[in-house]
Amino acid sequence: MPSRTLEQILEGRRSQPNQLIEVLQDVQASHGYISEEAMQAVSQGLGVPIMEVYRVASFYTAFRLKPSGKNVLTMCMGTACHVRGARLLMDQATGQLGVKPREVTPDGLFSVDHVNCLGACALGPIVTENGTYHHHMTPSKLRKLIDTLSRQKAED
Amino acid sequence: MLQQVNVNIDGANIRATRGTTVLDAAIEYGICIPHLCHVPYLSSISACRLCIVEHVVNGRSNVTASCTLNVEEGMVILTNTDKIRRLRRNLAELLVAQAPNSRAIQDIALRCGVKEVRYPFRNDDCVLCGRCVQMCTEVWKARAIGFVGRGKERHVDYPFGIRPDFCKQCGSCVQLCPMTIPPCDGPMKPGEEYLCRKCESQLMLADETPDHCVWCKLGESFGCGRYVGIKS
Repeated sequence: MPSRTLEQILEGRRSQPNQLIEVLQDVQASHGYISEEAMQAVSQGLGVPIMEVYRVASFYTAFRLKPSGKNVLTMCMGTACHVRGARLLMDQATGQLGVKPREVTPDGLFSVDHVNCLGACALGPIVTENGTYHHHMTPSKLRKLIDTLSRQKAED
Repeated sequence: MLQQVNVNIDGANIRATRGTTVLDAAIEYGICIPHLCHVPYLSSISACRLCIVEHVVNGRSNVTASCTLNVEEGMVILTNTDKIRRLRRNLAELLVAQAPNSRAIQDIALRCGVKEVRYPFRNDDCVLCGRCVQMCTEVWKARAIGFVGRGKERHVDYPFGIRPDFCKQCGSCVQLCPMTIPPCDGPMKPGEEYLCRKCESQLMLADETPDHCVWCKLGESFGCGRYVGIKS
């Protein structure tokens, strides 16, 4: 359930085009992604052309235009993580789940994402699972993590 | 009142109106700075970077795009140094490798002195010059098309990829697109792209006086500022 509706997010910021990115961030935080309808509403509310909203939303990788899975696995692809084998982790995750980066599994349980740095380079390679950091990841640890998560969800 | 400033472009002292760009001033005076994304009646976004010049400040030169560089009093601009020619040739080479299927792009590559293309031909049919986007945004205020995505995924598209109601299909975007002018021998098949070089005879005058606009016909196809008329 969205924690805040679009109306609440736009409240007090209507007709302020400079608030575009902040509003999109709030939409993303409360809805998990930015839907087409949300972009239309933001465009109407802020008085920004829809093309402009779409351009900004599609430009920044921080904005998702499609819903994410229940578990979001984020691989750090920064330099430090890369030299310690982040590529292998990505291959493990995409291979095991059968998706490409930035895609969601058909059952909607997992989505795999990559970012350029998570700021914990000394602990790399880093994988975050729904915001929890897992340090010194290896492909086998990642496989166990994915297995645990899918079992948890199956029990729920 | 329009204020005039003195600019030195390639050794020529030019009086230009404050607020115009170096590219406009140079074309008006008859100095050839090759350009592609610049349309005289639209504001420039310096996307193609072909109009690069050297801007000399305190004896140091900055390479910068002249279509977004406004004239200032006492400016010293060099448009045709070896360094600029080398950089410009490389840029034109990349453009023609990206989209060889256009007379306009082939012409500009020839004008910039491209003799061979060292990059694999991509045949993407778009060089992201943004002329269509600027037209839709500035002249029609429609914003029916725009740039979507980032990096190598950047492309021109409608919002969400669907033509919106406020696009009246006026076709101005298509008119300005350099890709609408096919090469003289017809469209190239994928895998058989080549550098045309058919208009090389046009360059004889231009080779003799490299820094002068000689109305070389190479600018005609993409609407070089000299042919469209200068923004007044």
